[in-house]
Amino acid sequence: MRSKSEEMDDDDEEEEEDRSSRKRRRSDFIDDVAEEDEDEEEEEEEEEEEEAFGGAGRRRRAKRPSGSQFLDIEAEVDSDDDEEDDEAEDDFIVDNVADIPDEDDNRRMHRRPLLPREDEQEDVEALERRIQARYARSNHMEYDEETTEVEQQALLPSVRDPKLWMVKCAIGREREAAVCLMQKCIDRGPEMQIRSAVALDHLKNFIYIEADKEAHVREACKGLRNIYAQKITLVPIKEMTDVLSVESKAIDLSRDTWVRMKIGTYKGDLAKVVDVDNVRQRVTVKLIPRIDLQALANKLEGREVAKKKAFVPPPRFMNIDEARELHIRVERRRDPITGEYFENIGGMFFKDGFLYKTVSMKSISAQNIKPTFDELEKFRKPGENGDGDIASLSTLFANRKKGHFMKGDAVIVVKGDLKNLKGWVEKVEEENVHIRPEMKGLPKTLAVNERELCKYFEPGNHVKVVSGTQEGATGMVVKVDQHVLIILSDTTKEHIRVFADDVVESSEVTTGVTRIGDYELHDLVLLDNMSFGVIIRVETEAFQVLKGTPDRPEVDIVKLREIKSKIDKKISVQDRFNNTISSKDVVRILEGPCKGKQGPVEHIYRGILFIYDRHHLEHAGFICAKSQSCVVVGGSRTNGNRNGNSYSRFAGIATPPRFPQSPKRFSRGGPPNDSGGRHRGGRGHHDGLVGSTVKVRQGPYKGYRGRVVEIKGQLVRVELESQMKVVTVDRNFISDNVAISTPHRDASRYGMGSETPMHPSRTPLHPYMTPMRDIGTTPIHDGMRTPMRDRAWNPYAPMSPSRDNWEEGNPATWGASPQYQPGSPPSRTYEAPTPGSGWANTPGGSYSDAGTPRDSGSAYANAPSPYLPSTPGGQPMTPNSASYLPGTPGGQPMTPGTGGLDMMSPVIGGDTEGPWYMPDILVNYRRSGDDPIMGVIREVLPDGSCRIGLGSSGNGETVTAPSSEVEVIVPRKSDKIKIMGGALRGATGKLIGVDGTDGIVKVDDTLDVKILDLVILAKLAQP
Amino acid sequence: MFFHIVLERNMQLHPRHFGRNLRENLVSKLMKDVEGTCSGRHGFVVAITGIENIGKGLIRDGTGFVTFPVKYQCVVFRPFKGEILEAVVTMVNKMGFFAEAGPVQIFVSNHLIPDDMEFQSGDVPNYTTSDGSVKIQKDSEVRLKIIGTRVDATEIFCIGTIKDDFLGVINDPSAA
Repeated sequence: MRSKSEEMDDDDEEEEEDRSSRKRRRSDFIDDVAEEDEDEEEEEEEEEEEEAFGGAGRRRRAKRPSGSQFLDIEAEVDSDDDEEDDEAEDDFIVDNVADIPDEDDNRRMHRRPLLPREDEQEDVEALERRIQARYARSNHMEYDEETTEVEQQALLPSVRDPKLWMVKCAIGREREAAVCLMQKCIDRGPEMQIRSAVALDHLKNFIYIEADKEAHVREACKGLRNIYAQKITLVPIKEMTDVLSVESKAIDLSRDTWVRMKIGTYKGDLAKVVDVDNVRQRVTVKLIPRIDLQALANKLEGREVAKKKAFVPPPRFMNIDEARELHIRVERRRDPITGEYFENIGGMFFKDGFLYKTVSMKSISAQNIKPTFDELEKFRKPGENGDGDIASLSTLFANRKKGHFMKGDAVIVVKGDLKNLKGWVEKVEEENVHIRPEMKGLPKTLAVNERELCKYFEPGNHVKVVSGTQEGATGMVVKVDQHVLIILSDTTKEHIRVFADDVVESSEVTTGVTRIGDYELHDLVLLDNMSFGVIIRVETEAFQVLKGTPDRPEVDIVKLREIKSKIDKKISVQDRFNNTISSKDVVRILEGPCKGKQGPVEHIYRGILFIYDRHHLEHAGFICAKSQSCVVVGGSRTNGNRNGNSYSRFAGIATPPRFPQSPKRFSRGGPPNDSGGRHRGGRGHHDGLVGSTVKVRQGPYKGYRGRVVEIKGQLVRVELESQMKVVTVDRNFISDNVAISTPHRDASRYGMGSETPMHPSRTPLHPYMTPMRDIGTTPIHDGMRTPMRDRAWNPYAPMSPSRDNWEEGNPATWGASPQYQPGSPPSRTYEAPTPGSGWANTPGGSYSDAGTPRDSGSAYANAPSPYLPSTPGGQPMTPNSASYLPGTPGGQPMTPGTGGLDMMSPVIGGDTEGPWYMPDILVNYRRSGDDPIMGVIREVLPDGSCRIGLGSSGNGETVTAPSSEVEVIVPRKSDKIKIMGGALRGATGKLIGVDGTDGIVKVDDTLDVKILDLVILAKLAQP
Repeated sequence: MFFHIVLERNMQLHPRHFGRNLRENLVSKLMKDVEGTCSGRHGFVVAITGIENIGKGLIRDGTGFVTFPVKYQCVVFRPFKGEILEAVVTMVNKMGFFAEAGPVQIFVSNHLIPDDMEFQSGDVPNYTTSDGSVKIQKDSEVRLKIIGTRVDATEIFCIGTIKDDFLGVINDPSAA
């Protein structure tokens, strides 16, 4: 009698035949000897080119019998082999329990007797009978031959046994090499002293040779071109067994486990095991059929079907009626064993729309199967109740990690007598979990196999998902459906379906996934349309992005691919009072919808700040604001500037007596410390130096220039320009602001000359020194356009080139001494000249320090606080000022320090787009409250305001605007630009690239390529 | 559930409030500060009903603020698991509906709505029984049972069910 599964088996085989039976079979041989006999059967039935590969396949395992006895599986096989093989073979098999015969000829003999049989063309019936008979017997054999562990142990190799050597051979020729050795053995006979040669399929490039001595191995390998005997490695005794043991995949396949198909049309499909035949290594699985009925009909009717494998039919339940409509013959048969009815269509068995298929165990994978909800859902077909689900959990459970259950977990028994018993985990041992049952009258604790347990949750529990796609999410259990929980996510207020196994009880509240691809929650990203924003929520496939629009919060849902890049720049901008804001500074919003909120700056981009306010409930706490509408909390000038007008500030300044020099001095003494103490608003003056270009003055790297990457106390890490490395240099050994190197030198020439004042330059104070010196010497010097600073405190006098003007000019602005105004003309003269010219030095490095607010802050720190707020660098007081003082109302305060203060170098100015406007550059003119209008600066007035021709070419109406209402348009790559600061001030060029905050500029006149801070570059208006 | 309990709080008072009205100022500030807040332990403070005791003030160095320990009686509202509440529906969607009972927001998932009620989308999304006799929509009043609470520092969120005896709509605005 032929069982159902038998039949299925057969047609399965046929099916496989259709495909590449050859390939499959070969691999079978290799992997598992046990499978061999089956394959042999197939071969017999098919009567086809077995010689071609079968022979090779078998020969491969040339093994010394005794050594391989411990392999259980082989023993089993061997029994089959024995029966089938002729008596003749027995001679070769030294040991009764031996596995595959070890010599080549042995194999041949084995084969020989089969040939005539094949020729006889036995009828199928007889063949079938024979197969049946054999399998029946083999079953018995299996049990007979079971060995005990002790026996196995006794067989392990010892020092007295021959050793195993690993020899290198040509890749892909492992088997060939082994066969060659075998052939050599046959030819040479006893001359060859090796015992065996083994080629393992999973090991490329090596074969194992069993021999007593290395010399024997060498001898044997001599003359074989496939074997490279130069390197012969001894396999330690302990590892010898591993070499030859077959990883017995102790796949615990049992009914109702979920598996996945590994090959064929159903590759990757989920299947459920309905029957396991351990002996024959076959399983019957239940699948959702992927059958193209039309094609099937064609085939059955004998019409030729184009064998195109490209198309794999989608999984669909078999509809018998449909099949009948296509005139496909459907037989209804009863399985003789189980008594169930199956529909047989063209050799395939269907039941309830599922396909039942018997396949080799090797063609399924049972490890780590995690069926998704959809798949499970599909399997839960018509009429099937949830019961199947719980049972099928067994596979899911098999994949549990260690420590899945923890003490205190609520669990429920899902299998066995105690099914549905609830309890709490008391103790976990290896496999068993001790639970304290909920029900009374039961022992205190019960030991239950882990697999019979499932975590138990009740609606209302607050849980966290710890694995799976929803990992990290938290929520409250809304519904418990067997082992599936429906959770209401805390953050999204949406339902999530998860396996009970994947969650733990937790009171934590989180969002779940926080990252897709390279982008993470709270990253600042640049979007496709050049807009930008902060990721405020990560959804399954998209992000919610709070756009960088300050007026109103705008949230967009953005797909991963719509994101261009992450913006990870360290930029600093200026707040309303020209304090530098860098990320992490705490700012307060002064206007707009979020007025009054405050929090640390998370991101800065294009003058827009993204502020994180814990108390802001919308948009994940992020607020978007313009930098100009914020103020740094605790910023050095916030207090004084709070009122926002220059008067008050000056007033403040006027009071305290201030002696500028002193601060410098002090600071000079202990630069790092002092400055550190003085930072306001948490802005380290480190930041000031970090990123700036410095020159090493002393030590082994003397003369090198580089960029500061980090400051650690007294040490500075500098990335050298000329060498690809970062070196650590003492702070005192560097001088900064080499970016525009000339000034530097000049500066020293002026004042500092001898005492190498420069180097300390990076210490803010230092620059101050120069001025003092200068005071007497080079008045011009001070004259340099005090850049950005001025803007802050005196928007009207931004440009003031010479300090002389300044004094006059400023006072004028506040109405004090009009008579000075006339003085301004000189200033004009100054504006025009490019810095490089005559007094190029002025912009010199020394000044630069002063420019950055923080530096100034530190400089002043010693001075009475009121000062701080007021523009440090700003007040342009010139050294000479003494003479002017009388004239200038506010004058005195500034005078003294002035020398130091006024210097602000373009370099630093860099980050503050200071008032170095120049004619012909494109700007945005922004009258308070209005949208910015593009315009071209026609003329820069002495008081710093600009005459702007509106329109992109400047042809429109001409307006005069204070510099505070003017914003330079940042050039893009390949724009024509004009350089607003530095030695090249006034020069035009082309921006050929942007690197972070630096622009790579090709200067028109000299065709030199320069790297300049983007901030001193302005887009040139096209004539 | 409502409780009338005594709580204590350290109040910081600005010096400008000192004077004859110090006590009044203190109390009004306390009310402003405390009423409507939520603590995980006690729930929402609904109202302050009285002051038990105001301790000695302690002047803070540097700021001039004075800290008073104040003991006050107040009514708090804290939802519990298993508690039956009456709530007003505020939003209905296909996943269920949100209802509010005073300061507490309660979500009733569609899994916890009787199976015979189905979601009807449209202008006024609602859950309706198949015979149309019962309808849950915005502003309906429902009686529900709380099955889970999540307590944050500032918020208490509950999920509830109406899938039980005697739960469900108690007053239908559309019928009225």
